[in-house]
Amino acid sequence: MTLLQTLVDGVLIGGVYAVLSVGLSLVFGVMHIVNFAHAEFMMIGMFIGWACWAYFGLDPMLGAFVALAVTFVFGMVLQRLLIKPILGAPQVSQIFLTVGLLFVLENAALMTMGAEYRSVTTPYQTQSITLLTVGSERILIGLDKAYAFLMALLSGGAIWLFLNKTRLGTAMRATSQNQMAAKLMGVNTNLMYAVAFGLGVGTTAFGGSVVLPYITVSPSVGSGFAVLMFTVVVLGGLGSVTGAIIGGIAVGVIQSFSALLLPIQLQNLALFTVFILTLALMREGIMGKRRS
Amino acid sequence: MTRYSPLSLAFLAAVIAALILLPLGMDPNGYLLRIMCLMLLFGGLGQAWNLVGGLANQISLGHAAYFGIGAYSSTILFNQFDISPLIGAVVGMALAAVFALILSLPTLRLRGHYFALATLAAGEVARVIANSWTSLTGGPVGISVSYRPDQSWWMLQFQTVLPNYYLFLATFLIISLVFWLVKNSAFGYRLRAIKENETAAEVIGVNTYRVKLMASLLSAVFTAVLGTLYAQFQFFFDPDTIFGLAAFSVKMALIAILGGVGTVFGPWVGALVIIPLEEMANSYLGNSLAGLSQFAYGVLLIIVILINPHGLIPLMQSMKAKVLGRRAS
Repeated sequence: MTLLQTLVDGVLIGGVYAVLSVGLSLVFGVMHIVNFAHAEFMMIGMFIGWACWAYFGLDPMLGAFVALAVTFVFGMVLQRLLIKPILGAPQVSQIFLTVGLLFVLENAALMTMGAEYRSVTTPYQTQSITLLTVGSERILIGLDKAYAFLMALLSGGAIWLFLNKTRLGTAMRATSQNQMAAKLMGVNTNLMYAVAFGLGVGTTAFGGSVVLPYITVSPSVGSGFAVLMFTVVVLGGLGSVTGAIIGGIAVGVIQSFSALLLPIQLQNLALFTVFILTLALMREGIMGKRRS
Repeated sequence: MTRYSPLSLAFLAAVIAALILLPLGMDPNGYLLRIMCLMLLFGGLGQAWNLVGGLANQISLGHAAYFGIGAYSSTILFNQFDISPLIGAVVGMALAAVFALILSLPTLRLRGHYFALATLAAGEVARVIANSWTSLTGGPVGISVSYRPDQSWWMLQFQTVLPNYYLFLATFLIISLVFWLVKNSAFGYRLRAIKENETAAEVIGVNTYRVKLMASLLSAVFTAVLGTLYAQFQFFFDPDTIFGLAAFSVKMALIAILGGVGTVFGPWVGALVIIPLEEMANSYLGNSLAGLSQFAYGVLLIIVILINPHGLIPLMQSMKAKVLGRRAS
């Protein structure tokens, strides 16, 4: 029954990967920009979650909302100052601007927070519950992972509701489908870009705080997750929010199974290989050209 | 073919003569000469990146993989089997070409962002392998080139930095010459057709896959040989630095972009600006606060792009026009 346990673990962690990556897909879908600095916002979210816990005793699951609010505003400002001038610029400029932002954010964190690893302690970190019993085997799930997964579901649902059931969300989808037509219909596309970027980095920061009970935070944590996030969104189809969720769970399961077969250093190798193959074989991803 | 005025040819000859003669008057183990070595190294790397990134607009974020392959090949062969780095360099070039060939299968049909993402992952693959194959590479702690002061040219080890300097200079000039020849050949025109419009290039009969593969192989081989020279110059390196995004992959691209992407002298200008700037930042700020120099480097990257988001060539050309205009008057 180890296989079933592995599958459950994979789905749990994959749900969190989905929330970490959904913002990257949203930003690409609306602005057609690949934000190479995106994973740094996970690191920022983790530090905000950590600070809320360390100074105010706030649980990281609640600190996640603080992280979301702060990075949402920060993201809107960054979009205005840095991303807006390069919309429509050659891709080489877009790529290297966000790579520059990556260096700035990571090293700003290094200068202010130092290189050491920080973690939180929560009462539920070491507890686990029995999900189901199959024969004599029990499928266990750690409470920290279960809570993170639930929070991921919650935020995923909220994004879906926002995009599909609100006027602002509809306007955002319209902008992603056809910027010019949306503008002609009276959509403030510049506002849409700013909101999409804020929301994109905000959900990633939210995901960062939520995983704090089982992942330690340091300034370099973002770069470790960057390729993972790109794998998730490319697997699901860049720009597709639903795709990011499917991609997230797929990556979680792949990682969980590769942990059974490969030594720890080589697990990332499996991921990178999946990533490059996905790019090569199905560039549009699982969700194809459909954008949600 | 680009025509150069006699004035600019004379200027070029003067620059090359200065590059050859200037170090003779310097302290052969001095700090200044080391910086000049780094400038030539990164100028060469930028030029090698320019072959695919500049001419064909294939934005690679994983060129450090080729560089690291060159460095590790010669060092491992030298340390374990006493094989001269001159032969090691050739082995490294061959391995880098093989890596480029394998990588081309999944990536060369990709465009724009997708190509950048795939090459980013390829660089990471190389880093993970070097970190985990400890028996071969020495793992995360890094690897040192064993010191043999007795046999100089065959072992590529010298009492002073001066021979290293001339090796870097020769390689840099060769890569620049090859770049110039490629740029002005039919091959170069095909690459530029891909840059302007890949679909249109295909329609008019350019075998885009083969052209891009040729350029990638050339670029990979040059990057690898610089990797060997770097190993023999630095005597120590580790996987996270040599395959790192910041230290090489992005820096070589930045050097090509800053000076004017796709131009012969772009990497010359880029290296001339970036490397001394970085050395200054490191020596004034480096020890005071970890991360500050890389932070400044990121800020520089952002500023450079924000000053001219639609490519730096127009900026360079307008500056050049101003400079030349002033000289003419």
